[in-house]
Amino acid sequence: MAIITHGVWAQEAGYQIGRGFEVSEFLTLGGYFSTEYELGDDKNAFLVDDLALLAYGDVGDRFSYLLELESIDAYVSDFENDTTSTNLPPTIERLYGDYKFSDNLAFRFGKHISPIGYWNLQPINVLRETTSNPRYSRRMFPKFITGVTMYGYTPFDESLSYQIYVQNTRDMDQDNINILIDQHYGMSLEKELGNGWKAGGSTGRFRQLDQTRTRYLQFNTRYDTAQYSAIAEAIVSYQDTRFAGSERSSSYYLQGEYRFTPQHAVITRGEYFRDGIAGIKERIGIIGYSFRPVYPVSLKFEYQWHADTKENQFVTSFSVLF
Amino acid sequence: MLRIHSLIMLLLMTTAMTAAPAADFAVVVASGSSIQNMAPERIRDVFLKRRNFEGDIKLVPVNPLGEDQLRRQFEQAVLQMNRDDVNRYWTTSHFQGVKPPITQASLESVKRFVARVDGAIGYIPRSMVDSSMRVLYEF
Repeated sequence: MAIITHGVWAQEAGYQIGRGFEVSEFLTLGGYFSTEYELGDDKNAFLVDDLALLAYGDVGDRFSYLLELESIDAYVSDFENDTTSTNLPPTIERLYGDYKFSDNLAFRFGKHISPIGYWNLQPINVLRETTSNPRYSRRMFPKFITGVTMYGYTPFDESLSYQIYVQNTRDMDQDNINILIDQHYGMSLEKELGNGWKAGGSTGRFRQLDQTRTRYLQFNTRYDTAQYSAIAEAIVSYQDTRFAGSERSSSYYLQGEYRFTPQHAVITRGEYFRDGIAGIKERIGIIGYSFRPVYPVSLKFEYQWHADTKENQFVTSFSVLF
Repeated sequence: MLRIHSLIMLLLMTTAMTAAPAADFAVVVASGSSIQNMAPERIRDVFLKRRNFEGDIKLVPVNPLGEDQLRRQFEQAVLQMNRDDVNRYWTTSHFQGVKPPITQASLESVKRFVARVDGAIGYIPRSMVDSSMRVLYEF
């Protein structure tokens, strides 16, 4: 069928920013970058924090692939300590294939984003509403799976989707991994409730390289209209460490966005994070403004209040998906 | 006098309810397709590439070019999105490795594409529908 469609299709005229460049049905090229300026009590730095290349395509009716190469902190100029560093060699951020038997049954294999909640699925600056990530998304569960995820819509309820994920090896390219693991099993469900509401949750367990074992239970919900978005996610985890016994950690955030035009939006977020093993508790409030002349180009400003640490800071960023 | 007014109002309401305008556009597949019908929510998911199959058939949604007025009407009526929402959706999908539906330069080419390609699904004005098409939904 690929041959037939090639003969009669016409492409949308020219390259469109935020949609990549379609070389052929088998290859679309794109990428993104993000620059950031941070100013706080002990911080004054400019970063090119993300520089990435995307390649993806379809091979036949049922197979597709995606490769993402990324240089993290490609350039950092720290004005506080008068240092500059570069880190250009890219790492494999994602490399996976999808095989779809049907809408009810598909498999993704390779290194891919853990299908947990909403924030984790849109991890790059340009797609987020704020420059910063909540602690919830970075400290509580592994951001990536190097393994297999089975996914699809359930046959008995077409508004309910599932994902069952398994990892039983170390991570592919461990440079940008938030939690180093060699095992991770879990499942996620998401239900479209209608009228802009969605809700879901995940449960699973993972084993870190130091043999700490963690079980987690996570919930997420969001509400979207043309002008407003509200999103809330929460997670509680139990860690069984090799020497220090069992501890409980938890985190949640609630974020609201008001788009007074498609280009301009204000965002507020409140978040809580408690790490039972490290004995850390953090409460953070954020107010931000986002300007998108077109959706794939984002200029953001935010101010963060940290109730429990002296890390209040102003952050601004400019990012583009191309 | 009041009774006459009430009668006129009732007559006007009844007329408005019974004389709803006929649908102008139709979502179509080839008449030989094994796809017999499709709910509007499913059509929405197919054109957003959230669903890709109908039984064993790989679906190939096809749009007219972006400036076509019919495409905007389809986005409003079926996708329930305005153009900003649509752009936002496909930008996010680009990061997920999902491309928008393919496009055709004219409604005539949409019709020809749907008639020729197995699994193709498109939308055209009701007046263009002929025996080579099967209508799945009208809007």
